Amino acid sequence: MKQTTFNRNKIGQLMVTILPFVALIVLFALFVGVVSMKGYRLDMYLQIVFNEGVVLAVVATGAIFIYTLGTFDISLGAATLFAATMGVLAYNATENMALMILAIFASGIICSLLNSVLASVFHIPAFVTTVAMMSVLTAVASQIITTKGGALGGISIPSVIVKDMDNPGFKIILLAVFFLVCFFTFNLTKAGRRQKFIGGNPVCAALTGIQFNKYTILAFTIAGIGVGLGAFLTLVYTPSVTTTTASSIGMNIFIAIVFGGMPISGGARSKIYASLVGGFSFMLLNDILELVIDSSAAYGITQLISAVFFLAVVYVTSMNYRTQMLPR
Amino acid sequence: MSEPILQMKNINKKFGSVIALKDVNLDVYPGEIRGLIGENGSGKSTISSIAAGMQKATSGDMYFKGDKWQPSSMIDALKGGIGMIVQESGTIAGVTVAENIFLGEINQFKNKLGIINRKLLNEKATEAMRNIGVEDITGDMPIAALDFQTRKLVEIAKVVLKNPDILVIDETSTALSHDGRSIMYRLMKKLRDEGKAIIFISHDLEEIMEACDTLTVLRDGNLIRTFTKDEFDADAIRTSMIGRELQGDYYRSDFTPSYMDEVAMELTDVNLGEELRNINLTLHKGEIVGVGGLSGCGMHALGKVMFGAAKPESGKVALGNGKKIDNPHTAVKNKIGYVSKDRDVESLVLSASIKDNISVGGMDEYALGGWLVTSKRESEYVQNQIDTLSIKCSSANQLTSQLSGGNKQKVVFGKWIGCGSEILILDCPTRGVDIGVKQAMYQLMMKLKSEGKAILMISEELPELIGMSDRIFIMKNGEITHEFERNAELTDANIIGYMI
Ligand SMILES: Nc1ncnc2c1ncn2[C@@H]1O[C@H](COP(=O)(O)OP(=O)(O)OP(=O)(O)O)[C@@H](O)[C@H]1O
Ligand SMILES: [Mg+2]
Repeated sequence: MKQTTFNRNKIGQLMVTILPFVALIVLFALFVGVVSMKGYRLDMYLQIVFNEGVVLAVVATGAIFIYTLGTFDISLGAATLFAATMGVLAYNATENMALMILAIFASGIICSLLNSVLASVFHIPAFVTTVAMMSVLTAVASQIITTKGGALGGISIPSVIVKDMDNPGFKIILLAVFFLVCFFTFNLTKAGRRQKFIGGNPVCAALTGIQFNKYTILAFTIAGIGVGLGAFLTLVYTPSVTTTTASSIGMNIFIAIVFGGMPISGGARSKIYASLVGGFSFMLLNDILELVIDSSAAYGITQLISAVFFLAVVYVTSMNYRTQMLPR
Repeated sequence: MSEPILQMKNINKKFGSVIALKDVNLDVYPGEIRGLIGENGSGKSTISSIAAGMQKATSGDMYFKGDKWQPSSMIDALKGGIGMIVQESGTIAGVTVAENIFLGEINQFKNKLGIINRKLLNEKATEAMRNIGVEDITGDMPIAALDFQTRKLVEIAKVVLKNPDILVIDETSTALSHDGRSIMYRLMKKLRDEGKAIIFISHDLEEIMEACDTLTVLRDGNLIRTFTKDEFDADAIRTSMIGRELQGDYYRSDFTPSYMDEVAMELTDVNLGEELRNINLTLHKGEIVGVGGLSGCGMHALGKVMFGAAKPESGKVALGNGKKIDNPHTAVKNKIGYVSKDRDVESLVLSASIKDNISVGGMDEYALGGWLVTSKRESEYVQNQIDTLSIKCSSANQLTSQLSGGNKQKVVFGKWIGCGSEILILDCPTRGVDIGVKQAMYQLMMKLKSEGKAILMISEELPELIGMSDRIFIMKNGEITHEFERNAELTDANIIGYMI
């Protein structure tokens, strides 16, 4: 028996699916409006949003794999900072670009892997290790930055070496390639499908023969690559690293992907594009608020408003699925 | 005849375009046990859950004890006098028996300082369990430590404590073994004799004819007919249920045990706490081994151990070729499939679609190169299972949480049948499944048997064990107490003696 007519449920689902895209478009229009109202240069502001958004989107894309499992990683921002720091150290020690890139990715992946390996060795939930990891990584990176950076308050690589890469075309290609690889893995491979299954019901997944640890480690590895890429793009944009670089990413990713339509509990309805849509929406919203409020208090208020938005989005997206669940 | 205590008039229920109930008129009288029977997805749970306040009808009116009946929730309905035992587990895992029974009412056990009197709470809960005839469960036991049957009994105790005028029992007997069922039947009779009404939903025709005073048949959301006790006739009821006569064999038709020489799986001296003691069991290729017993006899643990999901303290669980099975991953790699009894918790991802649930078991079968999942191959694979088991759904993308109980069970069955499992461990595989589909499942099992697959079927239903198994093992207190070979003379009565 096939039924093709729309029912309320389907319309609800469809709404939840398109809402993030609508939000992105609306926010974009709003941003353009606000910038021109203020009489600022639109192209400059678009570049700012793009450069910040691209880092967020890249890290978030990798992180989707973690969130899909129904867990989360709060150390992603700290890991990005750490990876960028290691990159600067590596370059300054060797003056070798390739080694710098290697150092960045190696530290990104190792940080992330450590989370999942520790979690599986000690049988604790992965998000617990990420909380500890966040503190450790921030502390280590800050220590390095303040000792090496001295009065400058930061460490840096010479901007000439990354100048050629600091253009939208290059960044879009990087983002696109990474996103497509992730999209493919997520939707079309056995591994991706199993990730979603684990997120939906870990007990059932285990009784289907799916190894939780293996897929946790895989998810964290992919997230680690995202962190590496994010750290690299950060350095390309601003060749210096300070203690606050990327510090808010860990939290922002959470908000961003929920903005993008990712269910907070992960599972079968997880969507990889949530990282792109949400990442850029989040940055647009952030910058709109900063422009409008335009004062030193802006940061706090921005956070507050994003939090309210966040709750609203979570409410709307989960509402549709809360209904009509009967224990039958 | 007295006045009906509950009248449901022209009840309609739609889920989008799915019509679950069509103009159903149902009157329930005090002092009767009313049976509800019908195929999976015919609307039994829907109609009774509307009466019990769990959901609202799209249109129609209800009258209860003469007044308009518009319960706003299950709790509201229970306060008003209609309580329901739901089909799947309705207990909360993290807390104790007492906290489940007095959920939301803990305040009455607080003293002036706001401290809960645990002792009193536990005593009251123990008393509630005694009240329904369960002696060995106390209020302080954690729910998580109890088996499925006992959790079900806790739910019953909780509802009965509220002294409802109408008690709805939705498809619960297949979750209970022999002893649990006797407790439930006794309770039903007692309530009826007190002038209460019971709505009893079951797929077991024999059981329902035995237990009920009147029987209402639903088909595709229509009320087909209500039979009074003197009109009970198995064939007539069956025909009105499925709208045609059931063709062909139900159980297998031969009465000689048969299996290949080759061993599929072997358990040697397996021990697991109180649950399994010195279990020795050989499962051959092309064999259906049945395992039966009372709840707590260890048979469900046996299934888990064979799948590697529970680790025995001693002894060996291995394939015929000697390969040890000590975790589910190895089991699945070696083509063992496992249907758990606790369907919603262990066998399904409710928030995922039918497609997601079925396809995950068979990815090795249809994925290109063993890893690339293409949507066409996946859809074909899934649709095949949906058709074979006639799963009633609006599409393969429907969420499993929206399916009727029996149809959920079919999804679980389909997940393991399609993927070429060589050994199937089926814990209550036909739980909540209607007779038409049961027949299809049995035929499928016979087909698998003829292909040389090995099947271990754990079941609470003796007729099913007798009807399908080459050999039957009966368990009691963690031990195998007797082994029966298939034969035509075997009856329930022969077996029960070894269970209790
Ligand atoms: N939330 C829902 N969304 C869509 N369809 C639903 C929903 N709940 C129930 N249905 C549909 O309503 C019909 C009746 O379901 P119901 O659960 O009442 O069947 P049932 O007679 O109890 O079956 P079973 O014997 O399998 O338990 C089914 O076709 C089912 O798929
Ligand atoms: Mg039902």
